[in-house]
Amino acid sequence: MRGTFVLFKKELAGYFLSPLFYFISFLMTGLLSVMFSISLGKFHETVSNAMLQLGAPPQAQNIHYAVFIPHLSLVNLLLIFLVPALCMRLLAEEKKVRTFDLLLTSPVTSLTIVLGKYLATLVTIFGLIVVTMIYPVISSRIADFSWAPTLIAAIGIFLVAAVYAAMDLFASSLTDNGLIAFVLSIVFNLTIWFVGALNESFDEPTAKKILEHLSINTHLAGLIEGTVRTSGLVFIFSLIFLFCFLTERVIESSRWRAS
Amino acid sequence: MIEVRKLCKSYGERQAISNLTFTIEKGDVVGLLGPNGAGKSTTMKIITGFMAPTSGEAKICGFDVFEEPLEVKKRIGYLPETPPLYTEMIVEDYLKFVAELKGVDKTRLKLLVDKALTKTQLVDVRHRLIRNLSKGFKQRVGIAQALVSEPEVLILDEPTVGLDPKQVAEIRDLIKELRGEHTIILSTHILPEVQATCNKVIIIHEGKIVAQDSIDQIEKLNQGAIILNVRTRRPHHLNHQLGGIAGVQQVESINQYQMRITLSEQEDVIEEIAKEIIAAGVGLVELTPSRANLEDVFLKLTYGQNN
Repeated sequence: MRGTFVLFKKELAGYFLSPLFYFISFLMTGLLSVMFSISLGKFHETVSNAMLQLGAPPQAQNIHYAVFIPHLSLVNLLLIFLVPALCMRLLAEEKKVRTFDLLLTSPVTSLTIVLGKYLATLVTIFGLIVVTMIYPVISSRIADFSWAPTLIAAIGIFLVAAVYAAMDLFASSLTDNGLIAFVLSIVFNLTIWFVGALNESFDEPTAKKILEHLSINTHLAGLIEGTVRTSGLVFIFSLIFLFCFLTERVIESSRWRAS
Repeated sequence: MIEVRKLCKSYGERQAISNLTFTIEKGDVVGLLGPNGAGKSTTMKIITGFMAPTSGEAKICGFDVFEEPLEVKKRIGYLPETPPLYTEMIVEDYLKFVAELKGVDKTRLKLLVDKALTKTQLVDVRHRLIRNLSKGFKQRVGIAQALVSEPEVLILDEPTVGLDPKQVAEIRDLIKELRGEHTIILSTHILPEVQATCNKVIIIHEGKIVAQDSIDQIEKLNQGAIILNVRTRRPHHLNHQLGGIAGVQQVESINQYQMRITLSEQEDVIEEIAKEIIAAGVGLVELTPSRANLEDVFLKLTYGQNN
Protein backbone atom coordinates (compact mmCIF):
# COMPACT_ATOMS: atom_id res chain seq x y z
CA MET A 1 0.00 0.00 0.00
CA ARG A 2 2.84 2.32 0.87
CA GLY A 3 4.49 1.63 -2.46
CA THR A 4 1.29 2.65 -4.24
CA PHE A 5 1.25 5.91 -2.36
CA VAL A 6 4.93 6.59 -3.09
CA LEU A 7 4.41 5.98 -6.81
CA PHE A 8 1.15 7.93 -6.78
CA LYS A 9 2.90 10.92 -5.24
CA LYS A 10 5.75 10.75 -7.72
CA GLU A 11 3.49 10.44 -10.75
CA LEU A 12 1.20 13.21 -9.55
CA ALA A 13 4.20 15.49 -9.10
CA GLY A 14 5.30 14.42 -12.57
CA TYR A 15 1.95 15.53 -14.00
CA PHE A 16 1.58 18.80 -12.21
CA LEU A 17 5.21 19.89 -12.32
CA SER A 18 5.54 19.27 -16.04
CA PRO A 19 4.27 21.77 -18.58
CA LEU A 20 2.25 19.03 -20.30
CA PHE A 21 -0.73 19.27 -17.95
CA TYR A 22 -0.90 23.03 -18.24
CA PHE A 23 -0.50 22.89 -21.98
CA ILE A 24 -3.36 20.40 -22.21
CA SER A 25 -5.54 22.55 -19.93
CA PHE A 26 -4.74 25.55 -22.09
CA LEU A 27 -5.67 23.74 -25.30
CA MET A 28 -8.89 22.52 -23.76
CA THR A 29 -10.02 25.80 -22.30
CA GLY A 30 -9.11 27.61 -25.52
CA LEU A 31 -11.39 25.41 -27.58
CA LEU A 32 -14.13 25.15 -24.97
CA SER A 33 -14.31 28.90 -24.47
CA VAL A 34 -15.11 29.43 -28.14
CA MET A 35 -17.65 26.62 -28.36
CA PHE A 36 -19.32 27.34 -25.02
CA SER A 37 -19.95 30.98 -25.78
CA ILE A 38 -21.41 30.09 -29.17
CA SER A 39 -23.87 27.54 -27.75
CA LEU A 40 -24.73 29.81 -24.83
CA GLY A 41 -25.46 32.64 -27.31
CA LYS A 42 -27.70 30.35 -29.36
CA PHE A 43 -29.53 29.22 -26.26
CA HIS A 44 -30.07 32.80 -25.20
CA GLU A 45 -31.49 33.59 -28.62
CA THR A 46 -33.89 30.64 -28.43
CA VAL A 47 -35.26 31.37 -24.98
CA SER A 48 -35.57 35.11 -25.46
CA ASN A 49 -37.49 34.84 -28.73
CA ALA A 50 -41.02 33.48 -28.40
CA MET A 51 -41.27 32.81 -32.13
CA LEU A 52 -38.30 30.47 -32.11
CA GLN A 53 -39.75 28.55 -29.19
CA LEU A 54 -42.87 27.58 -31.11
CA GLY A 55 -41.51 24.81 -33.30
CA ALA A 56 -38.47 23.94 -31.19
CA PRO A 57 -38.32 20.70 -29.17
CA PRO A 58 -38.60 21.19 -25.42
CA GLN A 59 -35.01 20.10 -24.92
CA ALA A 60 -33.78 23.15 -26.82
CA GLN A 61 -35.26 25.29 -24.06
CA ASN A 62 -33.38 23.53 -21.29
CA ILE A 63 -29.89 24.84 -20.54
CA HIS A 64 -28.77 21.36 -19.51
CA TYR A 65 -29.55 19.88 -22.93
CA ALA A 66 -28.87 22.91 -25.06
CA VAL A 67 -25.59 24.09 -23.53
CA PHE A 68 -24.05 21.79 -20.95
CA ILE A 69 -24.44 18.51 -22.81
CA PRO A 70 -22.82 19.79 -26.01
CA HIS A 71 -20.14 21.28 -23.78
CA LEU A 72 -19.45 17.96 -22.05
CA SER A 73 -19.61 16.07 -25.35
CA LEU A 74 -16.87 18.30 -26.64
CA VAL A 75 -14.90 17.66 -23.43
CA ASN A 76 -15.32 13.96 -24.10
CA LEU A 77 -14.15 14.35 -27.68
CA LEU A 78 -11.08 16.25 -26.49
CA LEU A 79 -10.35 13.68 -23.81
CA ILE A 80 -10.25 10.93 -26.45
CA PHE A 81 -7.09 12.63 -27.69
CA LEU A 82 -5.77 14.25 -24.52
CA VAL A 83 -5.88 11.28 -22.16
CA PRO A 84 -3.49 9.38 -24.48
CA ALA A 85 -1.16 12.38 -24.31
CA LEU A 86 -1.21 12.16 -20.51
CA CYS A 87 -0.84 8.39 -20.39
CA MET A 88 1.62 7.65 -23.16
CA ARG A 89 4.70 8.30 -21.07
CA LEU A 90 3.51 6.35 -18.01
CA LEU A 91 5.10 3.00 -18.80
CA ALA A 92 6.51 3.42 -22.31
CA GLU A 93 8.99 6.01 -21.13
CA GLU A 94 9.93 4.03 -18.06
CA LYS A 95 10.88 1.22 -20.38
CA LYS A 96 12.72 3.46 -22.77
CA VAL A 97 14.94 5.17 -20.20
CA ARG A 98 15.26 1.94 -18.22
CA THR A 99 13.76 3.30 -15.01
CA PHE A 100 11.45 0.33 -15.34
CA ASP A 101 14.40 -1.73 -14.06
CA LEU A 102 14.31 0.27 -10.86
CA LEU A 103 10.59 -0.38 -10.35
CA LEU A 104 10.96 -4.08 -11.06
CA THR A 105 13.86 -4.48 -8.64
CA SER A 106 12.14 -2.52 -5.88
CA PRO A 107 10.07 -4.25 -3.24
CA VAL A 108 6.78 -3.40 -4.92
CA THR A 109 4.36 -5.67 -6.76
CA SER A 110 3.17 -5.11 -10.31
CA LEU A 111 -0.25 -4.28 -8.92
CA THR A 112 1.25 -1.51 -6.81
CA ILE A 113 2.90 -0.02 -9.88
CA VAL A 114 -0.35 -0.08 -11.88
CA LEU A 115 -2.44 1.35 -9.06
CA GLY A 116 0.01 4.14 -8.27
CA LYS A 117 0.14 5.24 -11.86
CA TYR A 118 -3.55 4.79 -12.54
CA LEU A 119 -4.69 6.72 -9.49
CA ALA A 120 -2.35 9.59 -10.27
CA THR A 121 -3.80 9.74 -13.79
CA LEU A 122 -7.34 9.72 -12.40
CA VAL A 123 -6.59 12.67 -10.15
CA THR A 124 -5.09 14.55 -13.09
CA ILE A 125 -8.13 13.83 -15.26
CA PHE A 126 -10.33 14.90 -12.38
CA GLY A 127 -8.39 18.15 -12.40
CA LEU A 128 -9.12 18.60 -16.08
CA ILE A 129 -12.84 17.95 -15.55
CA VAL A 130 -12.85 20.46 -12.71
CA VAL A 131 -11.37 22.98 -15.12
CA THR A 132 -14.20 22.35 -17.58
CA MET A 133 -16.77 22.95 -14.84
CA ILE A 134 -15.70 26.57 -14.71
CA TYR A 135 -18.14 27.20 -17.57
CA PRO A 136 -21.33 26.00 -15.84
CA VAL A 137 -20.19 27.80 -12.67
CA ILE A 138 -19.92 31.07 -14.55
CA SER A 139 -23.29 30.41 -16.25
CA SER A 140 -24.92 29.98 -12.86
CA ARG A 141 -24.37 33.70 -12.25
CA ILE A 142 -26.58 34.60 -15.18
CA ALA A 143 -29.05 31.72 -15.21
CA ASP A 144 -30.84 29.72 -12.60
CA PHE A 145 -30.68 25.97 -13.16
CA SER A 146 -30.56 22.69 -11.32
CA TRP A 147 -27.00 21.49 -10.75
CA ALA A 148 -27.69 17.79 -10.20
CA PRO A 149 -28.02 16.61 -13.84
CA THR A 150 -24.97 18.60 -14.90
CA LEU A 151 -22.86 17.15 -12.09
CA ILE A 152 -24.03 13.62 -12.88
CA ALA A 153 -23.19 14.20 -16.54
CA ALA A 154 -19.74 15.46 -15.51
CA ILE A 155 -19.25 12.37 -13.37
CA GLY A 156 -20.29 10.33 -16.41
CA ILE A 157 -17.61 12.00 -18.51
CA PHE A 158 -15.09 11.44 -15.71
CA LEU A 159 -15.96 7.73 -15.60
CA VAL A 160 -15.58 7.43 -19.37
CA ALA A 161 -12.24 9.23 -19.12
CA ALA A 162 -11.29 6.75 -16.39
CA VAL A 163 -11.96 3.98 -18.91
CA TYR A 164 -9.75 5.80 -21.42
CA ALA A 165 -7.02 6.10 -18.80
CA ALA A 166 -7.12 2.36 -18.07
CA MET A 167 -6.96 1.50 -21.75
CA ASP A 168 -4.23 4.02 -22.42
CA LEU A 169 -2.17 2.80 -19.49
CA PHE A 170 -2.46 -0.64 -21.02
CA ALA A 171 -1.39 0.69 -24.42
CA SER A 172 1.58 2.35 -22.77
CA SER A 173 2.60 -0.93 -21.16
CA LEU A 174 2.78 -2.66 -24.53
CA THR A 175 5.59 -0.65 -26.05
CA ASP A 176 8.63 1.41 -25.22
CA ASN A 177 7.80 3.99 -27.85
CA GLY A 178 5.68 6.91 -26.66
CA LEU A 179 4.34 7.68 -30.10
CA ILE A 180 3.13 4.14 -30.71
CA ALA A 181 1.52 4.18 -27.27
CA PHE A 182 -0.22 7.45 -28.17
CA VAL A 183 -1.63 6.22 -31.48
CA LEU A 184 -2.64 2.87 -30.01
CA SER A 185 -4.41 4.69 -27.15
CA ILE A 186 -6.45 6.78 -29.58
CA VAL A 187 -7.41 3.66 -31.47
CA PHE A 188 -8.57 2.04 -28.21
CA ASN A 189 -10.49 5.13 -27.16
CA LEU A 190 -12.29 5.38 -30.47
CA THR A 191 -13.02 1.67 -30.58
CA ILE A 192 -15.27 1.70 -27.53
CA TRP A 193 -17.39 4.29 -29.32
CA PHE A 194 -17.57 2.44 -32.61
CA VAL A 195 -18.29 -1.00 -31.23
CA GLY A 196 -21.88 0.15 -30.71
CA ALA A 197 -22.24 1.20 -34.33
CA LEU A 198 -21.59 -2.40 -35.39
CA ASN A 199 -25.08 -3.40 -34.26
CA GLU A 200 -26.43 -1.87 -37.46
CA SER A 201 -24.83 -4.70 -39.41
CA PHE A 202 -26.43 -7.47 -37.36
CA ASP A 203 -29.99 -8.64 -37.66
CA GLU A 204 -29.93 -11.22 -34.95
CA PRO A 205 -31.54 -9.61 -31.88
CA THR A 206 -29.18 -11.18 -29.33
CA ALA A 207 -26.08 -10.00 -31.18
CA LYS A 208 -27.64 -6.57 -31.50
CA LYS A 209 -28.28 -6.48 -27.77
CA ILE A 210 -24.77 -7.60 -26.89
CA LEU A 211 -23.18 -4.99 -29.11
CA GLU A 212 -25.46 -2.33 -27.78
CA HIS A 213 -24.44 -3.21 -24.26
CA LEU A 214 -20.77 -3.15 -25.23
CA SER A 215 -21.05 0.38 -26.53
CA ILE A 216 -19.96 2.99 -24.07
CA ASN A 217 -22.46 5.30 -25.74
CA THR A 218 -25.42 3.38 -24.35
CA HIS A 219 -24.08 3.65 -20.83
CA LEU A 220 -22.98 7.23 -21.03
CA ALA A 221 -26.33 8.32 -22.49
CA GLY A 222 -28.10 7.60 -19.23
CA LEU A 223 -25.54 9.46 -17.15
CA ILE A 224 -25.61 12.42 -19.55
CA GLU A 225 -29.33 12.76 -19.01
CA GLY A 226 -28.75 12.71 -15.30
CA THR A 227 -29.80 9.14 -14.53
CA VAL A 228 -27.46 6.71 -12.84
CA ARG A 229 -27.98 3.07 -13.87
CA THR A 230 -26.10 0.30 -12.11
CA SER A 231 -25.70 -1.69 -15.34
CA GLY A 232 -23.78 1.24 -16.80
CA LEU A 233 -21.59 1.60 -13.73
CA VAL A 234 -20.89 -2.13 -13.67
CA PHE A 235 -19.89 -2.00 -17.32
CA ILE A 236 -17.57 0.96 -16.82
CA PHE A 237 -15.94 -0.45 -13.70
CA SER A 238 -15.51 -3.82 -15.42
CA LEU A 239 -13.67 -2.15 -18.29
CA ILE A 240 -11.42 -0.28 -15.87
CA PHE A 241 -10.73 -3.44 -13.93
CA LEU A 242 -10.08 -5.43 -17.11
CA PHE A 243 -7.52 -3.03 -18.51
CA CYS A 244 -5.76 -2.46 -15.19
CA PHE A 245 -5.59 -6.21 -14.82
CA LEU A 246 -4.16 -6.59 -18.33
CA THR A 247 -1.56 -3.92 -17.59
CA GLU A 248 -0.61 -5.69 -14.40
CA ARG A 249 -0.18 -8.91 -16.39
CA VAL A 250 2.00 -7.20 -18.98
CA ILE A 251 4.25 -5.75 -16.26
CA GLU A 252 4.40 -9.09 -14.51
CA SER A 253 5.24 -10.83 -17.78
CA SER A 254 8.33 -8.70 -18.26
CA ARG A 255 9.73 -10.49 -15.23
CA TRP A 256 9.80 -13.81 -16.99
CA ARG A 257 9.78 -12.95 -20.67
CA ALA A 258 13.13 -12.71 -22.42
CA SER A 259 13.70 -9.05 -23.00
CA MET B 1 24.70 -14.50 1.85
CA ILE B 2 24.18 -15.19 -1.83
CA GLU B 3 23.69 -18.71 -3.04
CA VAL B 4 23.22 -19.53 -6.67
CA ARG B 5 22.60 -23.08 -7.75
CA LYS B 6 22.46 -24.52 -11.27
CA LEU B 7 21.17 -21.32 -12.76
CA CYS B 8 20.24 -21.47 -16.46
CA LYS B 9 18.71 -18.87 -18.71
CA SER B 10 18.03 -19.12 -22.39
CA TYR B 11 16.66 -16.49 -24.72
CA GLY B 12 14.84 -18.65 -27.21
CA GLU B 13 17.50 -20.78 -28.84
CA ARG B 14 20.41 -18.93 -27.34
CA GLN B 15 21.67 -20.14 -24.00
CA ALA B 16 22.78 -17.03 -22.11
CA ILE B 17 23.99 -18.80 -19.00
CA SER B 18 24.09 -22.44 -18.10
CA ASN B 19 24.58 -24.19 -14.79
CA LEU B 20 26.00 -21.33 -12.79
CA THR B 21 26.70 -22.30 -9.22
CA PHE B 22 28.44 -20.07 -6.72
CA THR B 23 28.25 -18.84 -3.15
CA ILE B 24 29.19 -15.45 -1.85
CA GLU B 25 29.88 -14.81 1.82
CA LYS B 26 28.81 -11.78 3.80
CA GLY B 27 31.18 -8.86 3.31
CA ASP B 28 32.79 -10.19 0.16
CA VAL B 29 33.45 -7.98 -2.81
CA VAL B 30 33.10 -10.19 -5.82
CA GLY B 31 34.03 -9.34 -9.36
CA LEU B 32 31.99 -10.95 -12.07
CA LEU B 33 34.39 -11.00 -14.93
CA GLY B 34 33.91 -11.93 -18.53
CA PRO B 35 34.08 -10.67 -22.08
CA ASN B 36 31.12 -8.83 -23.55
CA GLY B 37 28.09 -11.04 -23.90
CA ALA B 38 29.35 -13.66 -21.45
CA GLY B 39 26.20 -13.54 -19.35
CA LYS B 40 27.27 -11.18 -16.58
CA SER B 41 24.27 -8.88 -16.84
CA THR B 42 21.87 -11.77 -17.20
CA THR B 43 23.23 -13.32 -14.00
CA MET B 44 22.83 -10.04 -12.15
CA LYS B 45 19.33 -9.49 -13.46
CA ILE B 46 18.31 -12.88 -12.17
CA ILE B 47 19.86 -12.33 -8.74
CA THR B 48 18.01 -9.03 -8.38
CA GLY B 49 14.73 -10.67 -9.27
CA PHE B 50 14.40 -8.49 -12.34
CA MET B 51 14.21 -11.54 -14.52
CA ALA B 52 13.31 -15.16 -13.93
CA PRO B 53 15.76 -17.92 -14.87
CA THR B 54 14.81 -20.85 -17.10
CA SER B 55 15.85 -23.20 -14.32
CA GLY B 56 17.87 -23.27 -11.13
CA GLU B 57 17.59 -21.21 -7.97
CA ALA B 58 19.11 -18.18 -6.33
CA LYS B 59 18.92 -17.25 -2.66
CA ILE B 60 19.81 -13.97 -1.02
CA CYS B 61 20.05 -13.75 2.77
CA GLY B 62 18.23 -17.07 2.88
CA PHE B 63 15.27 -15.85 0.82
CA ASP B 64 14.57 -17.42 -2.53
CA VAL B 65 14.56 -14.78 -5.25
CA PHE B 66 11.44 -16.24 -6.88
CA GLU B 67 9.48 -17.42 -3.87
CA GLU B 68 9.88 -14.29 -1.77
CA PRO B 69 10.90 -11.58 -4.24
CA LEU B 70 9.77 -8.69 -2.02
CA GLU B 71 11.95 -9.80 0.90
CA VAL B 72 14.92 -10.12 -1.45
CA LYS B 73 14.31 -6.76 -3.11
CA LYS B 74 14.26 -5.01 0.25
CA ARG B 75 17.79 -6.27 0.81
CA ILE B 76 19.43 -5.41 -2.48
CA GLY B 77 20.57 -2.26 -4.19
CA TYR B 78 20.98 -2.61 -7.92
CA LEU B 79 22.72 -0.43 -10.44
CA PRO B 80 21.81 -1.65 -13.93
CA GLU B 81 23.99 -1.02 -16.98
CA THR B 82 22.03 2.14 -17.69
CA PRO B 83 21.42 4.00 -14.44
CA PRO B 84 17.64 4.17 -13.92
CA LEU B 85 17.25 7.92 -13.56
CA TYR B 86 14.17 10.09 -13.81
CA THR B 87 15.92 12.92 -15.58
CA GLU B 88 13.20 15.45 -14.85
CA MET B 89 13.71 15.07 -11.11
CA ILE B 90 16.12 16.82 -8.76
CA VAL B 91 18.91 14.60 -7.38
CA GLU B 92 17.71 14.83 -3.79
CA ASP B 93 14.04 14.20 -4.63
CA TYR B 94 15.02 11.28 -6.78
CA LEU B 95 17.00 9.65 -3.97
CA LYS B 96 14.13 10.29 -1.57
CA PHE B 97 11.75 8.63 -4.01
CA VAL B 98 13.98 5.57 -4.38
CA ALA B 99 14.44 5.30 -0.62
CA GLU B 100 10.67 5.47 -0.07
CA LEU B 101 10.12 2.95 -2.82
CA LYS B 102 12.54 0.58 -1.10
CA GLY B 103 10.51 0.91 2.05
CA VAL B 104 12.86 3.05 4.12
CA ASP B 105 11.30 4.34 7.30
CA LYS B 106 10.11 7.97 7.16
CA THR B 107 12.19 8.92 10.20
CA ARG B 108 15.42 7.70 8.64
CA LEU B 109 14.70 9.01 5.15
CA LYS B 110 16.57 12.28 5.36
CA LEU B 111 19.51 10.76 7.18
CA LEU B 112 19.97 8.04 4.59
CA VAL B 113 19.61 10.41 1.64
CA ASP B 114 22.24 12.69 3.15
CA LYS B 115 24.50 9.74 3.79
CA ALA B 116 24.22 8.50 0.20
CA LEU B 117 24.85 12.01 -1.13
CA THR B 118 27.96 12.35 1.00
CA LYS B 119 29.32 8.94 0.12
CA THR B 120 28.98 9.54 -3.59
CA GLN B 121 30.14 13.18 -3.32
CA LEU B 122 26.92 14.56 -4.71
CA VAL B 123 26.22 17.09 -1.98
CA ASP B 124 27.06 20.00 -4.27
CA VAL B 125 24.62 18.95 -6.96
CA ARG B 126 21.79 17.80 -4.71
CA HIS B 127 19.43 20.53 -5.92
CA ARG B 128 20.18 20.15 -9.61
CA LEU B 129 18.05 18.46 -12.22
CA ILE B 130 19.46 15.04 -13.09
CA ARG B 131 19.01 15.86 -16.77
CA ASN B 132 21.62 18.62 -16.53
CA LEU B 133 24.30 16.50 -14.88
CA SER B 134 27.33 15.12 -16.69
CA LYS B 135 27.64 11.41 -17.35
CA GLY B 136 30.00 10.86 -14.44
CA PHE B 137 27.58 12.53 -12.05
CA LYS B 138 24.67 10.59 -13.46
CA GLN B 139 26.57 7.37 -12.86
CA ARG B 140 27.21 8.47 -9.30
CA VAL B 141 23.53 9.24 -8.80
CA GLY B 142 22.96 5.70 -10.04
CA ILE B 143 25.29 4.35 -7.38
CA ALA B 144 23.74 6.60 -4.72
CA GLN B 145 20.37 5.20 -5.74
CA ALA B 146 21.64 1.64 -5.20
CA LEU B 147 22.96 2.31 -1.72
CA VAL B 148 20.45 4.82 -0.41
CA SER B 149 18.35 2.19 1.35
CA GLU B 150 21.46 0.68 2.99
CA PRO B 151 20.91 -2.73 1.43
CA GLU B 152 22.83 -5.74 2.63
CA VAL B 153 23.74 -6.66 -0.93
CA LEU B 154 24.89 -4.26 -3.61
CA ILE B 155 24.80 -5.36 -7.21
CA LEU B 156 26.62 -3.06 -9.60
CA ASP B 157 26.56 -3.76 -13.31
CA GLU B 158 29.64 -2.17 -14.88
CA PRO B 159 29.77 0.72 -12.44
CA THR B 160 32.68 2.55 -14.08
CA VAL B 161 31.75 2.26 -17.72
CA GLY B 162 31.97 5.52 -19.64
CA LEU B 163 33.71 7.49 -16.92
CA ASP B 164 36.96 9.42 -17.16
CA PRO B 165 40.02 7.98 -15.37
CA LYS B 166 39.67 10.25 -12.38
CA GLN B 167 36.02 9.35 -11.91
CA VAL B 168 36.87 5.68 -12.33
CA ALA B 169 39.42 5.99 -9.54
CA GLU B 170 36.86 7.75 -7.35
CA ILE B 171 34.27 5.07 -7.87
CA ARG B 172 36.82 2.37 -7.12
CA ASP B 173 37.69 4.15 -3.91
CA LEU B 174 34.01 4.34 -3.07
CA ILE B 175 33.59 0.62 -3.62
CA LYS B 176 36.61 -0.03 -1.40
CA GLU B 177 35.02 2.15 1.25
CA LEU B 178 31.79 0.22 1.07
CA ARG B 179 33.62 -3.04 1.58
CA GLY B 180 32.65 -4.53 4.90
CA GLU B 181 29.36 -2.69 5.16
CA HIS B 182 27.79 -4.41 2.22
CA THR B 183 28.25 -7.58 0.25
CA ILE B 184 29.06 -6.38 -3.24
CA ILE B 185 28.91 -8.02 -6.63
CA LEU B 186 30.22 -5.98 -9.51
CA SER B 187 30.47 -6.98 -13.10
CA THR B 188 33.09 -5.69 -15.43
CA HIS B 189 35.31 -6.60 -18.31
CA ILE B 190 38.04 -4.32 -17.04
CA LEU B 191 40.62 -6.33 -15.15
CA PRO B 192 42.42 -3.68 -13.13
CA GLU B 193 39.05 -2.83 -11.66
CA VAL B 194 38.70 -6.29 -10.22
CA GLN B 195 42.28 -6.29 -8.97
CA ALA B 196 41.76 -2.91 -7.36
CA THR B 197 38.48 -3.56 -5.60
CA CYS B 198 37.57 -7.21 -5.26
CA ASN B 199 38.72 -10.02 -3.04
CA LYS B 200 37.08 -12.74 -5.07
CA VAL B 201 36.60 -13.28 -8.78
CA ILE B 202 34.15 -15.29 -10.79
CA ILE B 203 35.14 -15.55 -14.42
CA ILE B 204 32.31 -16.29 -16.80
CA HIS B 205 32.73 -17.24 -20.40
CA GLU B 206 29.92 -18.09 -22.78
CA GLY B 207 27.51 -18.50 -19.92
CA LYS B 208 29.67 -20.86 -17.91
CA ILE B 209 31.87 -20.30 -14.90
CA VAL B 210 35.44 -21.00 -15.96
CA ALA B 211 37.07 -20.03 -12.69
CA GLN B 212 36.04 -18.78 -9.28
CA ASP B 213 38.34 -18.15 -6.38
CA SER B 214 40.12 -15.42 -4.49
CA ILE B 215 42.28 -13.16 -6.63
CA ASP B 216 45.54 -14.61 -5.26
CA GLN B 217 44.46 -18.15 -6.02
CA ILE B 218 43.44 -17.27 -9.55
CA GLU B 219 46.72 -15.55 -10.25
CA LYS B 220 48.53 -18.67 -9.07
CA LEU B 221 46.71 -20.71 -11.69
CA ASN B 222 49.03 -19.42 -14.30
CA GLN B 223 52.17 -19.46 -12.21
CA GLY B 224 55.14 -21.62 -12.93
CA ALA B 225 55.79 -19.88 -16.19
CA ILE B 226 57.93 -16.76 -16.03
CA ILE B 227 58.75 -15.00 -19.23
CA LEU B 228 62.04 -13.16 -19.39
CA ASN B 229 62.58 -10.37 -21.89
CA VAL B 230 66.26 -9.84 -22.66
CA ARG B 231 67.87 -7.07 -24.68
CA THR B 232 71.56 -6.54 -25.32
CA ARG B 233 73.58 -3.66 -26.77
CA ARG B 234 75.48 -5.80 -29.27
CA PRO B 235 74.29 -8.73 -31.39
CA HIS B 236 74.71 -12.08 -29.74
CA HIS B 237 74.45 -15.80 -30.46
CA LEU B 238 73.62 -17.11 -27.03
CA ASN B 239 70.46 -19.01 -27.86
CA HIS B 240 71.98 -22.41 -27.68
CA GLN B 241 74.01 -21.67 -24.59
CA LEU B 242 71.05 -20.30 -22.67
CA GLY B 243 68.84 -23.10 -23.79
CA GLY B 244 71.21 -25.47 -22.03
CA ILE B 245 70.64 -24.02 -18.56
CA ALA B 246 68.45 -26.18 -16.37
CA GLY B 247 65.00 -24.63 -15.91
CA VAL B 248 64.88 -22.87 -19.24
CA GLN B 249 62.03 -24.14 -21.35
CA GLN B 250 62.38 -22.18 -24.50
CA VAL B 251 64.53 -19.46 -26.05
CA GLU B 252 63.05 -17.35 -28.81
CA SER B 253 65.00 -14.72 -30.69
CA ILE B 254 63.02 -11.67 -31.63
CA ASN B 255 65.95 -10.08 -33.46
CA GLN B 256 69.71 -9.94 -33.05
CA TYR B 257 69.44 -7.91 -29.88
CA GLN B 258 66.30 -9.19 -28.28
CA MET B 259 65.02 -12.52 -27.13
CA ARG B 260 62.30 -14.01 -25.02
CA ILE B 261 63.09 -16.81 -22.63
CA THR B 262 60.44 -18.96 -21.02
CA LEU B 263 61.39 -20.35 -17.63
CA SER B 264 59.65 -23.21 -15.99
CA GLU B 265 59.88 -21.97 -12.42
CA GLN B 266 62.65 -20.91 -10.09
CA GLU B 267 63.87 -17.40 -9.93
CA ASP B 268 67.44 -18.64 -9.46
CA VAL B 269 67.52 -19.42 -13.13
CA ILE B 270 67.30 -15.71 -13.88
CA GLU B 271 70.56 -15.21 -12.03
CA GLU B 272 72.19 -17.95 -14.09
CA ILE B 273 71.05 -16.36 -17.31
CA ALA B 274 72.26 -12.93 -16.27
CA LYS B 275 75.68 -14.34 -15.44
CA GLU B 276 75.87 -16.10 -18.80
CA ILE B 277 75.02 -12.98 -20.80
CA ILE B 278 77.39 -10.75 -18.89
CA ALA B 279 80.17 -13.31 -19.32
CA ALA B 280 79.60 -13.20 -23.08
CA GLY B 281 80.25 -9.47 -22.96
CA VAL B 282 77.43 -8.43 -25.28
CA GLY B 283 76.24 -5.58 -23.03
CA LEU B 284 73.10 -6.47 -21.09
CA VAL B 285 70.68 -3.51 -21.11
CA GLU B 286 67.37 -5.13 -20.23
CA LEU B 287 66.28 -8.17 -18.30
CA THR B 288 62.62 -8.07 -17.35
CA PRO B 289 60.74 -10.97 -15.86
CA SER B 290 57.03 -10.67 -16.57
CA ARG B 291 54.89 -12.56 -14.20
CA ALA B 292 51.60 -14.04 -15.21
CA ASN B 293 48.83 -11.79 -13.93
CA LEU B 294 45.09 -11.81 -13.83
CA GLU B 295 44.99 -10.54 -17.37
CA ASP B 296 46.83 -13.58 -18.72
CA VAL B 297 44.65 -15.90 -16.71
CA PHE B 298 41.59 -14.16 -18.02
CA LEU B 299 42.72 -14.31 -21.61
CA LYS B 300 43.77 -17.91 -21.26
CA LEU B 301 40.48 -18.91 -19.69
CA THR B 302 38.24 -17.06 -22.09
CA TYR B 303 39.72 -16.29 -25.47
CA GLY B 304 42.33 -19.03 -25.16
CA GLN B 305 39.68 -21.73 -25.36
CA ASN B 306 38.71 -20.83 -28.85
CA ASN B 307 42.20 -20.81 -30.28
